[in-house]
Amino acid sequence: MGRRRRSSCGAKHTELQNVSSSSVMDLGPFETDNSVSCRLASQIPDVCKTEDCCLGIDEAGRGPVLGPMVYGICFCPVSKKKELKDSKVADSKTLSEAERENLFQKLDEARSYVGWALQILSPNTISTSMLQRTKYNLNALSHDTAIGLVQYALDSGVQLKEVYVDTVGPADKYEAKLSQRFPGIEVTVRPKADSLFPIVSAASICAKVARDRVVKGWNFAEDMGEVDTDYGSGYPNDPKTKAWLLKHLDPVFGYPQFVRFSWSTAQTLMDSKAVTVHWDDDEEDGEKAAQRQHNKSMLSYFSASAGGNDQNPTHQTHRFLTERRLKSLCTL
Amino acid sequence: MAAKKKRTPHAQSDSWVVVAADSVIDAQKLDSDPAFVRLRNPSTDAASLYMLGAGDAQLYEVKAFEEDFRSWFVGQTVQRDGRLLFVTPMDPLFLILPYLIKAGKEGKFQPVDQIVMDEEFPVCSRLLSCTCSLASLHHIAEEKEAGSLKFHRYSQEKTMNWLKKKVERTVDALKKKNIYVGEGVKSTTFVRVKSESEYHEEDYLRYAHGLISEYISEELSKALLKHLQLPELTSPKETEPPSKKRKLSDKAVEAGEDYTKFNSADFARKPPKKMTAAQKTLAKVDKTGMKSMSSFFSPKVKTEKK
Repeated sequence: MGRRRRSSCGAKHTELQNVSSSSVMDLGPFETDNSVSCRLASQIPDVCKTEDCCLGIDEAGRGPVLGPMVYGICFCPVSKKKELKDSKVADSKTLSEAERENLFQKLDEARSYVGWALQILSPNTISTSMLQRTKYNLNALSHDTAIGLVQYALDSGVQLKEVYVDTVGPADKYEAKLSQRFPGIEVTVRPKADSLFPIVSAASICAKVARDRVVKGWNFAEDMGEVDTDYGSGYPNDPKTKAWLLKHLDPVFGYPQFVRFSWSTAQTLMDSKAVTVHWDDDEEDGEKAAQRQHNKSMLSYFSASAGGNDQNPTHQTHRFLTERRLKSLCTL
Repeated sequence: MAAKKKRTPHAQSDSWVVVAADSVIDAQKLDSDPAFVRLRNPSTDAASLYMLGAGDAQLYEVKAFEEDFRSWFVGQTVQRDGRLLFVTPMDPLFLILPYLIKAGKEGKFQPVDQIVMDEEFPVCSRLLSCTCSLASLHHIAEEKEAGSLKFHRYSQEKTMNWLKKKVERTVDALKKKNIYVGEGVKSTTFVRVKSESEYHEEDYLRYAHGLISEYISEELSKALLKHLQLPELTSPKETEPPSKKRKLSDKAVEAGEDYTKFNSADFARKPPKKMTAAQKTLAKVDKTGMKSMSSFFSPKVKTEKK
């Protein structure tokens, strides 16, 4: 059984959304509401609850402006490392989509000792996290997601002894953070861990397969009429992606939730092509803010004519009204 | 009260989001529509927006809730202006009062339709159509009847009593609505430790007086304050927390700091904490390997050595 044949049969599978393998990775829970974060997981193999296990963490879809970021963990007993290595799981980036689907199939066949879990962070989750008042950056979000998945494995009874992670940010800091969070577990954070440790490769395959499927069959929550699904790789530098972003820009709402608003690609386009929207936590320089109409300096609230449109400078509006932001009008 | 989303089919700027009393649109019996009108604001003496209900039966004041960074989604459109207009019933006497006071200076009894006239705001005569206007004029004016005609003359005494009643009723409303009348600003969601009874009656009176003053001239407001027997606040003592405790010692008072240093030549003003946009960008510039400006003016110690 050569790899070639398998991959060719995998290629057929990728043509369809509902291939047989999708039964082992049911994206239904995410697709019913793709605006939130969602966890998908395999059955926990019994052997993982009794034997010491190793666990790999990797992510897919960190860079794209479109679609979710998927975090994956894969775990198996330490004693089965060799078998996993023999199954030739490799860094998902070096594989074609068909090969990945195929390898995922193989992981599923090994379900007696290999388990996995995924956290799909919807583009909307990423946008709202990064753009909220207290900014929650992508690294923090990544770290917390990884921690959540490891905790999930522990809570499910997996006897974790070793954890391997591809780094996000400085490796030593991340390693210290995880070690502290999970005492008693040997944490190894390495750049390129997905090509060094088969269990990380397996995790990367799970994550990548899920991301590919989600992106391909994205259910637009918005009523967009005819949506052009030819959005390319979703990476900001892909001309197809750029063209798609230009085409689907709404002057008021910007983009569907499929787009990560926090990406500068999306922001730059919205800044130049869409209606300007001001938020009260916008960082604006004094002059710029003053140029904008309706903007009041903080000082104006303390000065004598707090009434705003009052022509009479001596008249001071009662605080019942000013505290409630109520004022008289002279015209509509 | 019912929330009404009013939208005209014209341009966006012609639409407003209004909260209005049900009575405003209750126009079955009357043939004319309610209308926004500009009238003289008794407190500011300038134009303000009011609304006359159907058939001019009732006067409403228009107040706008306006905050920065607000917009409306109305149906399938976006309204840039995020204001919320409130149309609330108002006693027309407040608007009639300034005209009566003005006419009262002549000391004569006059028919009201001759008193309530304004070249700038001709609409003001419609105030007299309000159902309660003529019936309640006796609160602020003396009346004389000659045949079928009625004549009025402003009465300060009556007005003061009327305004006092308004203040008292406002106090009741403030208490009933749990409005915070103490010093400083407090959130309405803030759970108060002090119970309402602990606030002085004077706080309520003063607050209510302030509210009523929104509807009368400054002159009248001062007179009302006297009438309520509330002393005018001359110093901010009562509204501000006590400043630092004074030191009690027999020692001679000395300056805690050497202020003469500010006069010396080497005293340099500290840069302002807030930087302008240009300064900010300058501050971000990579300065590695750059000499500071002052280094060019300091004595060249190193070169002299060599």
